[in-house]
Amino acid sequence: MKFSYNWLKSYVPEIPEPEKLAEAITYHLFEVEDIENKTNGDVVFDIKILPNRAHDLLSHQGLAREIAGFSGINFKDPTSLYKIPESIPTNLKIEVQSDKCRRYMGRIVRGVTIGPSPDWMVTHLESIGQRSINNIVDATNIVMFDCGQPTHVFDADKIANNKLYIANAKKDEKLILLGGKEIILDESVLTIRDEFDALDIAGIKGGAKAELDLNTKNINISIANFNPVSIRKTSHKVGVFTDAVKRFENDLSPELDAYAMIELSGLILEMCPSAIFEDIVDIYPQKQEAKKLSFTTGKVSKILGLEVSTKEIEDILQRYNFKYKENSGIFEMEVPFMRLDLEIEEDMAEEIGRILGYDKLKPNVPKIKFTPKINEIYEKIKKTRSILVGSGYREVTTYTFTNKGDVEVLASASDKKFLRYNLIDGLRESYELNKLNLPLLGQKEIKIFEIGTVFIKDCEEIHFAYKNKDGDWEDKIEKFSDTALKFLKDSLEESNTLDLLSDEITHKFKMWSLYPFITRDIAVWVPDDISSDRLKDIYRELGTELLVRPPKLFDQFTKNGKTSYAYRLVFQSYERTLTDDQVNGIMSKIADKIRLNEWEVR
Amino acid sequence: MEENQKGILHPLTLLQEEAYKVFTDLGFEIAIGPELETEWYNFDALNVPKDHPARDMQDTFHIKNKEEHVLRTHTTSVTFRAIDNAVKEGRIPCAFISIGKVFRNEATDSTHEMQFFQIDGSMVGENISASNMKGVLTHFYKKMLGEDTEIEFRPSFFPFTEPSFEVFAKFKGKWLEMGGSGMLHPNVLRNMGLDPKKIQGFAFGHGFDRIAMVRSKIPDVRLFYQGDLRLNQF
Repeated sequence: MKFSYNWLKSYVPEIPEPEKLAEAITYHLFEVEDIENKTNGDVVFDIKILPNRAHDLLSHQGLAREIAGFSGINFKDPTSLYKIPESIPTNLKIEVQSDKCRRYMGRIVRGVTIGPSPDWMVTHLESIGQRSINNIVDATNIVMFDCGQPTHVFDADKIANNKLYIANAKKDEKLILLGGKEIILDESVLTIRDEFDALDIAGIKGGAKAELDLNTKNINISIANFNPVSIRKTSHKVGVFTDAVKRFENDLSPELDAYAMIELSGLILEMCPSAIFEDIVDIYPQKQEAKKLSFTTGKVSKILGLEVSTKEIEDILQRYNFKYKENSGIFEMEVPFMRLDLEIEEDMAEEIGRILGYDKLKPNVPKIKFTPKINEIYEKIKKTRSILVGSGYREVTTYTFTNKGDVEVLASASDKKFLRYNLIDGLRESYELNKLNLPLLGQKEIKIFEIGTVFIKDCEEIHFAYKNKDGDWEDKIEKFSDTALKFLKDSLEESNTLDLLSDEITHKFKMWSLYPFITRDIAVWVPDDISSDRLKDIYRELGTELLVRPPKLFDQFTKNGKTSYAYRLVFQSYERTLTDDQVNGIMSKIADKIRLNEWEVR
Repeated sequence: MEENQKGILHPLTLLQEEAYKVFTDLGFEIAIGPELETEWYNFDALNVPKDHPARDMQDTFHIKNKEEHVLRTHTTSVTFRAIDNAVKEGRIPCAFISIGKVFRNEATDSTHEMQFFQIDGSMVGENISASNMKGVLTHFYKKMLGEDTEIEFRPSFFPFTEPSFEVFAKFKGKWLEMGGSGMLHPNVLRNMGLDPKKIQGFAFGHGFDRIAMVRSKIPDVRLFYQGDLRLNQF
């Protein structure tokens, strides 16, 4: 989620400078994915809020509380900032007919004026990438990004008889969403509705029927809490994912509804001072119970492998305003209602650890009394590999995904939807690819193998497969034995050279050129007493950096006191496609140099 | 230049042999497990319940006509199975290491691939702590990336561990994200048949291709799976 530095600062006036803050968030909380300096002087942090803290940290207040906690600075509670409007009795009726709605708060406000938002609201929203729509809709968005609670506002005059039901949709009922998309509902979808129609997919997105417009005068505020699993399932079913879904599916505290009502009412009062507020209708069938959590200094220390003192823990709990009792290292803590993530002792080891800083953990390699067994499958794989490599085979790894097979994956991001049922198809493709590049590889002929898992109807098997110019072979790894060595037998006698430009073998990888290569063969008569290295040196020197492989001697014979050496030269550029002319230029320089030595190019 | 008549291993295999050696020297046992895994071992046993947003943290391949099965999204399922068996055989404390292919249903680019390798390690025992894991991982990354390598833990979240850490390694002056880790969640320990009051354990699952890419400056993860022998340079 995106956070505005200025917005946070309104809750923690002593907030550290942006750069320091980003570092502290990284080491005490979560990853800061991006920092953006706005032209208006604000700084926007994109922070990866993970599911365990989506209950409280998808909000500026939540993050501000954290910042206050780990920095040991003051958090300014905003509750008292909002004016509480006087209210009059209401005729609003709300009927909750599903146990998937844990709390529902409704309120009618009459005499509002829909119009542009105050500047500060537009700035706040735009800083975090939200578009300003109108004062009332903007206020609902401010509340969500401020305290984490999604809220919604209906046009009260578009709701039949001032009565709402929180109930399942009817089979095949149609609903036009805000924005115009029409979806078909069924009985599993929880809706907010009036006597006739669905007005809103509960907790997910509002509908067009009771949408605010420029003539709206009277509004119906809707602030609720829903079962997270139900929200998640419905959202997947109807294919609608919103900021509200993201919060509800991670579970929110229903206690938050009351705060959000104070904030939203306060904002509306500020913008529409003459509006008349009716009493809040609060249906709260599943009250969140107060939770206590016990933990000990000893267990926290044992999990972290770090001697933490009771005093250090107390200091942290106080900085976070956690209420607790402590007796000889045994803590009993009241869990704040928003902190649904704090359930067990291990959770407190994390709280204490991350706030102290994990740099405090000293690396300590343990000794345990355990006698490892040999893994038979791995031994088999290793042996197979070593025999194949010893026979001049090179190893490849090809894709598990193919376009045919016994096992199909669902909704793949790729067009290859099947799992391979053999290795050989991939190996044959690899063979063809490598054959084209043979002059670049320094191998006399292509000989490759792969060891990997294949998927056959109801099981998976680890196979080996290898291929050379005479054929190929594939079987289960358990079957690798002399009989599987059918095509291997000659290979040991052949030479397969590994020739590197430098003789040193390092871990340094050199990316290959993506341009085509050109080969040239050159045969030269030299007197018997001249070593072939002399030729090689000329090729290397005049071949320039375009000579990408060591010159390869592929033929030689001696006649009448002279020896003919035939070399293959491979040219390739990293910057462009080489032309024949360019290579011819190099070759003629080489020929000149050879003639200078009074040798003879054949 | 005809000094070497041997074939050449795939660079990930080469690294795998080195990595296994580091861990077996520390007393870990090698574990291998299925790539097509049950939802139980891939998710439920690891405290990732159905219909929980934590399942979205990994883009999962589901299998047609084979409900309750997925392509494993991590090799943590393998170390879980190994510890599960060790508990049944009364071999606690224990330590396992597994390097294997995992799958994520996501668009590919130079740093993302639908298949890649993960190295997953776990140790359980009465007093196994987060600082023990820091010791083991520091030792491992020094062996992989050089003696001057440092590592650090940053806060994170994984359903199967509590506390959870993201592990970073400092290589040539730059902090690089290597993968997740943490102390096994009591629910996971219970699913292994262990009593979390008595037994603690750590687990980590790191991108293995990434270690190879960092160490050898290999620019694109997809190069590992194209069957192109120009990759086999070491």
